[in-house]
Amino acid sequence: MLRTIIAREFLDNVLNLRFMIGLVLCLIITVACMVILAHDYRQELADYNHRVNLQDEFLRNYATRSRILRMIPTQKPPERFRPLIIGMSGDETSNSFDDNPLPILFPSLDFLFIVTIIMSLLAILFSYDAITGERESGTLRLVIANSVPRTTILFGKFIGGAASLLIPFILALLVGVFYINLNPNIQWDGSAWSELALLTAASITFIALFYLLGLMVSTFSRYSAISILNCLFLWVLLVLVIPNVCPYISAQLRRVPSIKEAQRRDREIEIQSIRAAEELMRQSAKEFKLKYGALFSEFESMGSGSEPQKATQQRAQADPKFKSMMDAFRQESEKATQELVRIRGEGQEKLWGDFNRKVAAQTRLAKNLACISPLSNFVYVARDLTGTGLRSLEYFDQVKYEYSGPSGPFWKQVYKKEEEARKNDPTFREDTSFLDLGDYPRFVFREEPLKDKLGEVLPYWGILGLFNVVFFAAAFARFMRYDVR
Amino acid sequence: MLKSIIKKEILLNLLSYKFSIIIALSTILILVSIFVMYRDYCLALENYEYEILGSKSENPPAVIPPIPLSIFAKGLEENLCRSYESGRVGGIDVSSTQKSVNTLFKLFTTPDLLYVIKVILSLCAMLFAFDIICGEKETATLRQSLSNNLKRPTLILGKWIGGFSSFIVPFFIAVLLGTIFVTLSPMVDMNPGNLLKLGLFLLGSVIYLAVFFSLGLLLSCLTHRSSTSLVISLFVWAMLVFLIPNLGNILARQFVEIPTVQQLELQREQIQIRTEVEVKRLQTWPEKNKAIERANSEREMLAEDYRNRFNRLVTVSKNITRISPAAAFTFLATDIAGTGMLEERRLKSAFLQYLDTLRNWNEEGERPAFAYQRSSVQDALGLGGLSNCLILVLFNILFFSGAHVAFLRYDVR
Repeated sequence: MLRTIIAREFLDNVLNLRFMIGLVLCLIITVACMVILAHDYRQELADYNHRVNLQDEFLRNYATRSRILRMIPTQKPPERFRPLIIGMSGDETSNSFDDNPLPILFPSLDFLFIVTIIMSLLAILFSYDAITGERESGTLRLVIANSVPRTTILFGKFIGGAASLLIPFILALLVGVFYINLNPNIQWDGSAWSELALLTAASITFIALFYLLGLMVSTFSRYSAISILNCLFLWVLLVLVIPNVCPYISAQLRRVPSIKEAQRRDREIEIQSIRAAEELMRQSAKEFKLKYGALFSEFESMGSGSEPQKATQQRAQADPKFKSMMDAFRQESEKATQELVRIRGEGQEKLWGDFNRKVAAQTRLAKNLACISPLSNFVYVARDLTGTGLRSLEYFDQVKYEYSGPSGPFWKQVYKKEEEARKNDPTFREDTSFLDLGDYPRFVFREEPLKDKLGEVLPYWGILGLFNVVFFAAAFARFMRYDVR
Repeated sequence: MLKSIIKKEILLNLLSYKFSIIIALSTILILVSIFVMYRDYCLALENYEYEILGSKSENPPAVIPPIPLSIFAKGLEENLCRSYESGRVGGIDVSSTQKSVNTLFKLFTTPDLLYVIKVILSLCAMLFAFDIICGEKETATLRQSLSNNLKRPTLILGKWIGGFSSFIVPFFIAVLLGTIFVTLSPMVDMNPGNLLKLGLFLLGSVIYLAVFFSLGLLLSCLTHRSSTSLVISLFVWAMLVFLIPNLGNILARQFVEIPTVQQLELQREQIQIRTEVEVKRLQTWPEKNKAIERANSEREMLAEDYRNRFNRLVTVSKNITRISPAAAFTFLATDIAGTGMLEERRLKSAFLQYLDTLRNWNEEGERPAFAYQRSSVQDALGLGGLSNCLILVLFNILFFSGAHVAFLRYDVR
C-alpha cells in the first residue's frame, strides 16, 4: 500500500503546475549560475597566477630582508568550489580603499542561495496542501475509509512528495556538475567529489526539512489558504529573520568594547611603556653622572648616529675607564628597552587577550543562537564542507603561518641564503644586500582534510536531522488525531 | 460605488486571518529591526567618538560621523564610517570596522528597515493581492458584483485602493512608532533634513510596495485559481527580489574585467620597490626626483585605471539589476539615506582631493583638515535617484494597466 501512496503522491506532484515551474526555474538558475561562476573562477585563477608570478619576479630580482617583509609570497588561490559557492573575503580585501561594495548591497547568487531560498520555498509550496488539499477535495476521507493506516499515508506522502521535489534539484545539479566536469580549468580530485556528494546529501536534508515543515503545518490546518500563510510565516522567520538578527542580538547580549577604544588604549600602553623606559634612562643617567662626573658628560655630549658612534668607539679603545663606563651604560639602556618591551607586551596581551575573549564569546553566542534556524545550520555545513566559510579563512591563516612563520620553510630558506651570502661576501649587510631567492620553497595551499571538516560540520548536520525528526514526529502526532471530514 | 467597493475590500481584509498574521509579522519585524539598528548606530557613534578622541594629538584621520538614517537603511554605512589615512607606497590605509571583529556578520544580511521592506513586506504585499480577483471568482462573489451596474475599471480600482490602503496603514503605524522611539532618543540627532529624507524614503517604500501589490493584482487577473496565482506570485517575487539583483552583480563582472584589490596592491608595492632600487643606483638628486615622479605617476595611472574599470562595473551592474524593482528601490533608499553607492563614490573622491591638498601643503600654517558634507536630498535625487523612483512608478503603471486590461477580458464565471 505504501508504494501505491508514494506513486500516487509522486504523480500528483509531477503533473502539477508548481512542478513545471520548479523544474524550469531550477534548471535555468542553477545552470546559468554555474556557467557564470565557472567563468568567474577562470578569471580569479588567472588573477591568482598573475599575483604569484609578480611575487616570484620580485623575489628573483629585488629581494632584501626589509623588502621581503612587504612581499611574503602567500597568495590565496580561489576556492575549488568557487564555481558553486562564492567564498568569503578576508580582511585584506574588506580593509582596502578600493574594495568592491556591491556585494554588501546585493549578496551574490550561488548554489547556497538556490538551496536556501529557491528550494526551501519550493519545498513549502509542494507540501503546504498535502493534507489540507486532500481534505478539501474530499479524497482524504475516501482513502482513510479503506484499511490504510494513517502512518502509511503520512509516510507515503513524505516519500512521494520529497522524491518529486528533489527531481528538479538533482537534475539541475547534475547538468551543472556535468558542465564543471567538462571545463578544463576546473580539475577536481577525489576529495572534491566526495565533498560534493556530502554537500548534495546536506542539501537534501535541508530541502526535506522544509518539505516536512509544510507537511506538519498542513496537518495543523483545516484549509490550504491558512496552511500556506502559516508556512510562509514560518519560512520568513526561519530563513529571512532569525539568521540575520542573531548576530545583532548577540552583540547586545555579549558586548564587545569598541575596536577604536581598544586601539586607542593600545596606543596609550605604548606611550606609557616609552615613558617608563625614558624615566628609567633618566634615573640611570643621573646615577652615572654622580658616579663618573665629567667622563659621563663627555660621553653624553658625543651624541648618537653613525659618525659620533665611530668617535665613541675610538675614545673607548683609547681609555679603558671610558670603555667600562660605556659598557655599563649600554647595559642599563638594554634593561630600559627590555622594560619597555615587558610593559608594552604585558599591557597589550591583557588588552587584546580580553578583547579577543569577548569577541570569541560574542561570535560563539551568535553562532549558537542562529542554530535555531535551519538555514544557519545548513550554511555552516555547506560552507565548512566546501572550504568557502569562516573556518576556511582561519585554516588559510594557519597554513600561511606554518609557511611564513618564524620557523616556517620560507624564513628557513631566507636564513640559509643569508648565511651563504655572509660567507661568500664579507660586505653583506642583512637589511640592504640583495638575496637571491629564486629557488625559495613555493607556497602551496592544500585543502583541509575531509575528516577534519566532517568533524566540524557533523553537529550542525545533526541539528538539521533533528529538525527533520521533530517536524515529522509533530506531523505524525497531529495527523493521528486529524479530522478528515 | 467606488467608495462601497473600497470599504468592502478594507473590511474584508481587516477581518481576514491573512491580515492578522501579516500585520503581526510586519509590526514585530519593523520594531525589532529599528531597535536592533538603533543600538548598532549607538555603537558606530561611540566608535566615531573614540576615533576623534584617539587622534587629538596626532594628524587626524579622515573620518565622517555615522548618519542617523543608517538605522533605517544601513547600506554601505559600515564602509563609509571607516577612517582613511595616507599610507605607504601612495596607498591609503583604511581602518577596520567594528563588524570585522565578529566574523559571523559576514555570513548574514543586515536586518534594517530597508531589508524588511524590500524582502518581507514586498512578500506580504503580494500575499495581500494574489487572490483579489481569482479568490472572488472562486467564491462566486465576483460574478454577482458584476451582474449589477458596476463598471469593471471601477471594481478593479476600488479593489486596488481598498486592498493597498488596508495593507499600508498598519505599516505606517509601525514605522511611526519606531521613528518616534528613534527621534526621542538623546543619541540620535533627527534634524529636519534627516526627517525630510526619512519622509522621502518612506514615500519610496510606498511606491515600491505598490509595485508588488499591483503585480499580485495582475497575476490574480491572469489566473483563475488562487492556488495557481499564489505559486506564480511566489516565484515571481523570488525572481524579482533575490534572483535578478544578486545575479546582476556577478553578471556585470562578465562584461567588465577588473583585477582584484590584492593584485592592485601588489603592483603598487612592486613599483615602489623598483623605484627604491633605481633611486639608490642613480647619482644625482634631479635624476632621483625624476624617477620618484615617474613612479608616482605610474602608481596613479594604475589606481585611476582600476577606479575607471570599477566605476564601469558599478554602472553595468546597476543597469542590469534595475530590471528588478527591488534593486531600483535599494539604490533609491540608500542614496536618499546617504548610505549608498553615490555617497561612497563622493566620499572617496573627496578624500582623494584632500590627499592632493595635503601634497600641495607646504607645511606652513595649519594642516588642512578633512571636511565632508553628506549629499543633500537634491544631490540624491539628481544623480540617478529620480530615475530609480521613475522606474518604480513605471513598474506600477505597467502592472496596474496590465491588470486592468486582463480584468477587462476576465471570464468571471
